[in-house]
Amino acid sequence: MKILTTVKKVVDVELNIRVKDGAIQEEGLQYVINAWDETAVEAAVQLKENSGAETSLVSIGGADNTDIIRRCYAMGIEQGMHIQDPAIEKPDSFTYASILQKVYEKGDYDLVITGKQAQDTDNGQTGIILAEYLGLPCVSNVIDMEVLDETHVKVSRLGDGGTEVLELELPAVVTVDVSMNEPRLPAMRGIMMAKKKKIETMDLAGLGASPEEVGAGAPKSEVLAFQETEKRQGGQKYEGDPAEVTAKVVGLLASEAKVL
Amino acid sequence: MTKVLVIADIKDGALKGSTAELVSKAGEIGAETAVAAIGSGVASLTGDLVQAGSSTQYIADDPGLELFSAGPYAACVVDAARQFGADMIWFGFSESGKTLAPRVAARLDAACVSEIIDVKLKGDQVEVTRPAIANKVLQQVKINTGSLVAVVRAGAFEAGEDVSGTENVVQLSPPETDARAVIQEIISDAEGEIDLTDANIVISVGRGVKDQDGVNLVKELAHDLQAGLGASRAMVDGGFMPHNTQVGQTGKIVAPSLYMAVGISGAIQHLAGMSGSKYILAVNKDPEAPIFNVADYGIVGDLFEVVPILREEIKKVRNQ
Repeated sequence: MKILTTVKKVVDVELNIRVKDGAIQEEGLQYVINAWDETAVEAAVQLKENSGAETSLVSIGGADNTDIIRRCYAMGIEQGMHIQDPAIEKPDSFTYASILQKVYEKGDYDLVITGKQAQDTDNGQTGIILAEYLGLPCVSNVIDMEVLDETHVKVSRLGDGGTEVLELELPAVVTVDVSMNEPRLPAMRGIMMAKKKKIETMDLAGLGASPEEVGAGAPKSEVLAFQETEKRQGGQKYEGDPAEVTAKVVGLLASEAKVL
Repeated sequence: MTKVLVIADIKDGALKGSTAELVSKAGEIGAETAVAAIGSGVASLTGDLVQAGSSTQYIADDPGLELFSAGPYAACVVDAARQFGADMIWFGFSESGKTLAPRVAARLDAACVSEIIDVKLKGDQVEVTRPAIANKVLQQVKINTGSLVAVVRAGAFEAGEDVSGTENVVQLSPPETDARAVIQEIISDAEGEIDLTDANIVISVGRGVKDQDGVNLVKELAHDLQAGLGASRAMVDGGFMPHNTQVGQTGKIVAPSLYMAVGISGAIQHLAGMSGSKYILAVNKDPEAPIFNVADYGIVGDLFEVVPILREEIKKVRNQ
C-alpha cells in the first residue's frame, strides 16, 4: 500500500496573535507543523509499521517548510516532497487541492491521509476537495482506521449521530481528527538521520502544471483584512467558604444573568 | 434577487433550531430562500420547513438515505442547488455540513467558506466574516466567484419571530448509493442525551473531575438543569467522555445562554469552542487557571465540594 500524506506549516496558536491595520503582525510568531497533519503522519507511519505501507509526504509552501518535512522523516516517513513556487500566492483550499492532485497523479498512491483542517484557517476543505477532483471516495473527521485487505480499509468518523463506521474502497482520501492518535516524539537517532535525507523539491513546472491550471493567484475567496477577536473580559472570581461563595454565584446567575 | 439554499439540519427526525436561524438571516439580507431536507421520512417535516420561512422546499425522502452518506447527500444538494439556481448554499454547523460543503463547492465550481458568522451583500459582491486561528482573529473574506457554499458557525444568526413561508414542494430523485464508501453502522454514544449544540445550558467537564465518579457527579447537575454535557479534550482522550461531546477547535462549537466549565483549565483550543456563550461560569481549584480570564463568574474551589452545593442552591432558586 502506498500512502501520501500532506503537511502544512502553520502559525503556532498557543502564541499571541496581534493585528495591525488589518494584517497579522509577523513579529513574535512561530510556525509549526499543523497539529491535524501531524496526526495524519503518525497514522501513515503506523500503517508502515503494522501493514508494510510505503509512506510519502508532500508540503506546499516556502523554503523553510523543510524543517517540518525533516521532522516527519524523523517520525518515520520515507519520502518527502516540497512544492515551492512564487506563483502560489494567497492559495485557497482549491489551489492546494489542485496542486495535490498533480502530486497524486505523479505517483501511484492507494491512500491519501490529510489532517481534517489546518489550525491557521480552520476551514477543513482541502482533503475533501482533492478527493472530488480525483473522483475518489473520501471520509472526513476520521478517528480510527483498520486495514481490511489490499483494497479496503474500515474507518470510523465522528458524525452528528455518533460514530459512523464505513468500509472504504481504495484508492481513497481520508481526513483525520487529532483524537485519532498521539503523534510520537522523534527519537534523537531519527532526527540525526533525517538531517541527511534528501527532499525532492519541485516548482509547478516540475509538477507539469501551470499557475492558471491550479488557480494560483486567482483564489475563489480571499482574505481582505484581519481583526483581533474581541476578548471576553473575565468577571468576578469568588474564593472562600464553598457553601457561601456557591450560594452567592447562584444568586447572581439567577438575578443578574437571568439564566437559571 | 440573490437566491439562498439552506440545507436543513435534521436530528432524530426533527428539524434543529439552526435551520430557522439560517433562513431568517437569508431573509434579512433580502434573499429568496429555499430549504433542502435530505433523509428518510423527512417529507413529514415540510410544514416545519415552510414555517421556518422558506419559499421552496426541496425534499429528498428515500429509505436509502436513512444513514448519512456524504456522496449521495452531496448529490441531492447539488441537484437542489441547480434546480433552484442558488447563488449561495448554507449549511448549519454540523459534521454532515462540514463534510458536504467542500464536496458541493467542488462539484459546482463555487467558493467554499467555513464557520461564517456574518454575510453581507455589497452590490454583486459577497463578503463574509469568519473566525480563524482557533478564534483568535476574525477574517473579512471576499468571494471572487459567482456562487458560494458556506458553513455557518453555531449561534451566529438568530431566528426571526414572525416569519412565514410558502409551500412549494419539489421532490428530488433519490441518488445512487456510494459503493466505494459504504456506511455499515452508526454507533450512537450519547443515547438520550441533550444535543449540545441546541442546549440552552451546557456543562462541560475537564481534567479536574478526574474519573468516572467525577463525571457522574457533574452529570447529575446536568440532568437537573436539562443541560447538554460537554467535555474538554483530556476527558475524551482519557476515555471518560464520548468523542462527540468534545467542545473546542476540533469538536463542537457551542454558544448557549450559560456555559459551566467544571474542572477545565481553559486551553486555547477549548476556548475556541465556547467563548461565544452568553455567560460563562467556571469552577476550578486553581485561581490562576486561564478559564477565569473568560468566565463572567468564577468559583475558586474543589469541584467535588462545589458541584453538590451548586445543585442544591440551583434547586432552591428555581423553586422560589
